Amino acid sequence: MSKQETKEKEYDVCLLLEGTYPFVSGGVSTWIHNLIKGMPELTFTAVCILASSKEKAEYRYEVPENFVDPQIVYLHDPIEMKRSMFGGISKDNIERLRRFHYRLDRNDLKMMKEMVELFRENKFPLSELMHGKRAWELMVERYKADQNKESFIDFFWTFRFTHLPIFKMLPRELPRAKVYHTISTGYAGLLGVIARVMTGRPLLLTEHGIYVKERKIEISQAEWVYRKEDDRMRIESKLGAFQTFWIRMFEQLGKLCYDYSSAIYTLYEGNRQLEIQEGADPDKIRIIPNGISLDNFLGLKAEDHDYMGQTEFAVGFVGRVVPIKDVKTFLRAIKIVAIKIEHLKVYIMGPTEEDEEYYEECVNLVKLLHLEDVIEFTGKVKVTDYLPNLDVIVLTSISEAQPLVIMEANCAGIPAVASDVGSCRELLEGRTVADQALGPSGIVTKVADPVATGEAISKILTSPILRQKMSKAGIERVKTFYKESELNKTYLKIYKDYMAMDNLE
Amino acid sequence: MAGIGFELRKMLRKDSYLSEMSAYLYAAMVSSGPWLMSVLCLAVLGLYSYSGFSQQDQDIFRTTIVYVYAFTLIYVGYIQLVVTRYLADKFYLGEEKITLTAFYSSSVIVLIAGAIIGVGGIWFFELSFTYKIIAVVLFLIVAMIWLAMIFLSAVKDFRSIVQAFAVGTTASVGGAFFFYPLIGLEGYLLGYTLGQSLIFFWLLARLLAEFPAGRVWDSKMLTYFLKYWELALIGMLFNLAIWVDKIMFWFAPDSRMVVPYLRTHDMYEGPIFFAYLTIVPTLAIFLVKIETKFYEHYHDYFAKIISKKELSSILLEKQGMITMLKESLREILIVQGALTLFCILMASNFIDIVGLSPIQRPLLQIALVGSLMQVMLSVAVIILFYFDLRKEVLAVTLVFLLTNMGLTYLTMQLGFTFYGYGYCYSCFISLMFAYYLVSKSVHDLEYLTFSSQPII
Repeated sequence: MSKQETKEKEYDVCLLLEGTYPFVSGGVSTWIHNLIKGMPELTFTAVCILASSKEKAEYRYEVPENFVDPQIVYLHDPIEMKRSMFGGISKDNIERLRRFHYRLDRNDLKMMKEMVELFRENKFPLSELMHGKRAWELMVERYKADQNKESFIDFFWTFRFTHLPIFKMLPRELPRAKVYHTISTGYAGLLGVIARVMTGRPLLLTEHGIYVKERKIEISQAEWVYRKEDDRMRIESKLGAFQTFWIRMFEQLGKLCYDYSSAIYTLYEGNRQLEIQEGADPDKIRIIPNGISLDNFLGLKAEDHDYMGQTEFAVGFVGRVVPIKDVKTFLRAIKIVAIKIEHLKVYIMGPTEEDEEYYEECVNLVKLLHLEDVIEFTGKVKVTDYLPNLDVIVLTSISEAQPLVIMEANCAGIPAVASDVGSCRELLEGRTVADQALGPSGIVTKVADPVATGEAISKILTSPILRQKMSKAGIERVKTFYKESELNKTYLKIYKDYMAMDNLE
Repeated sequence: MAGIGFELRKMLRKDSYLSEMSAYLYAAMVSSGPWLMSVLCLAVLGLYSYSGFSQQDQDIFRTTIVYVYAFTLIYVGYIQLVVTRYLADKFYLGEEKITLTAFYSSSVIVLIAGAIIGVGGIWFFELSFTYKIIAVVLFLIVAMIWLAMIFLSAVKDFRSIVQAFAVGTTASVGGAFFFYPLIGLEGYLLGYTLGQSLIFFWLLARLLAEFPAGRVWDSKMLTYFLKYWELALIGMLFNLAIWVDKIMFWFAPDSRMVVPYLRTHDMYEGPIFFAYLTIVPTLAIFLVKIETKFYEHYHDYFAKIISKKELSSILLEKQGMITMLKESLREILIVQGALTLFCILMASNFIDIVGLSPIQRPLLQIALVGSLMQVMLSVAVIILFYFDLRKEVLAVTLVFLLTNMGLTYLTMQLGFTFYGYGYCYSCFISLMFAYYLVSKSVHDLEYLTFSSQPII
């Protein structure tokens, strides 16, 4: 298809995707895949941001027929540029750029539209921004030589690395669509803002994980960001100036995306709170939890299961054996349970080879706690084979979004004990009033608290009435609030509403 | 030029007066020694012109030598800076073994081009066949001397260069005096050529002893001519700019044809050449004082950037560099200025000593001022080279060349009283331009350093 045609064509929805569908597999990608597949009546296109063309871009999904003409943007690919004699940035425009930055410092984003337009009129050629005198002077001014004690050369490279992807995004030609939908803030969010500003069509944002928070964790752990030696010696771990630089940039991109989005969707209340913290307007945020396809799990637990007469119990842990899942807390909790309950069997279901060292430590801990006869590491297995025989499912993760395990447990009618992360509380105790009225389908405990976790497990196992009630509440909850087909209906309605909307501004 | 700095500082550290003096001498030798030597050589031969040489022979000989030096300097110029750069890069990578291969390759280029230019240039002069053969040989040998110098100065073997020139120049003078009575004019040139060959073979022997044998052809070096085309142009055009006024004067209305097509201008050349001798102190002071000290500041400045220092301390370092440059330039101006002033006042006496005509006195005086400007210009150019500002140097070179051509033409029209002013003002304009570029570059040094970085 020629460029001209692509430009002319108007799609229903343009997705803005950073490091995900259809080139990367994972939770979010699968979500997007199901969303597109669930709405054959809409045409989708996408701008996919990938790191570099050195890594081969291969489809990881069998893309539906209504997903057409995706464009790829390589964030870190080198770009050719020619410096023209007369291509300099005018005094007025550099002044605008300066004002824009000082306003950004005060979280004032009013000049964004003007900036995007100037960029797209080629008033800021990339070569001039990188090699020109005026852009250099602005950069030095921003460094504030009279008070800044940080390495200048690192400032320079940080400036380049943080700005270059933005400079690449700004002049980009985007597909025409009735609605733009970005699945994260960051660079994809920036593309969304550009599309919103240039076309006047509404921008929607769905955040599964909070992009800014994820980047913050990544950057604070990064080795490649330079920190002064003496900073490392401090007992209190404080972020270096260049880490702050990066983080601030992602925060500003986040804020920008929140500001220009007509609506913001996320999975659960905790994320909503984070988005509000990062500057999102609370009124724009709507929680749309992920759904689950019920067919595979409903009815796994026999209707006439004899809760009263049960003497042998099985506990399940579904997840990779890695530190973030905090398997050790789970093992310690089991020790407490094993003291009280005689006939206990525990299955840890999930791959063990991802972090061999951690797995080794877990095996040693099992020996130390004398739980060899109780605990079994099954490796990667088909969970549905084990579910019918389980009495409790436990999740001790340090961090989660909307864990599928808990939804599956609810669906299968198995009570769960989960740490208070992500949407676990919502999934077990209910989110809305109507949801809460169904009663709890499990117990929420504090993160890294083996005693509370152990007690919660014991409480469920030793109380058949509670187990039966929880089982029913779980099944009911998933049926009512977490059906995948409902999710698609919700988004279809959203898309149709915004597609029909008049141009903004 | 950076290499000279190292060696000189090593010498200076010895802290003895004598070694300091020798350092000054070496420096002067390297930067424009060969031409000074030949001017000196001509002066010596000229002084003894009364001792039985015919005036006609004397003129032919002197003009031949001037032509040979002028044109070899110009045409070897295109190779000089490129090869210097190539060697510096290779030495930096620790690939000293490439030296002889590079030398052979450039010799091939110099000899082939030199043979064509030399034969083409000299053949049409109405001189004897033997004389022309010797002249072509001399042309090639002098060209090869320039080339060998480049390679030897790259390894900082200044001692050999000085020795070779001292011995060779003496031999040239001796040879000329010895052969002239035996076979006349051809002998005169032959004797001189033999002395110059001695210099060349001395340098060649040092080169062969210093480096391991290598292949004959180095095609990688040729890519440097494309990559650093500015250097090739600068090398050639800067030397042309220095010579262009002399060359133009060979065609002035009051110039003279010694034998058909071998032209000279009796009034103009002499004072200019003698004036040129007065820049020795500056060259020495600059190379020892500025270059070593400047290199330290230059080094510290970049060390601060690389060692992740904050901008304010980088700027502080640069301030030190600027102060040092200003002080050194003032020093040059005082020393060279004083000497130039002294020479201007004593012009009449000098004219008597070297046998110039009294009417050449104003010309000598203005040429002295011009030489002062020219040496300051060289200083500015070397600083620009330190910052690798090749385009800027090229601009200075073009300004120098064009103003010298234009103003020299103008003075030729205006008449004898204005002779020398063209050269002097051309040097002045170019100096101002170069100085402007230096001060601008130093001011924008961070910008120039950082923004030229490729993106990733």
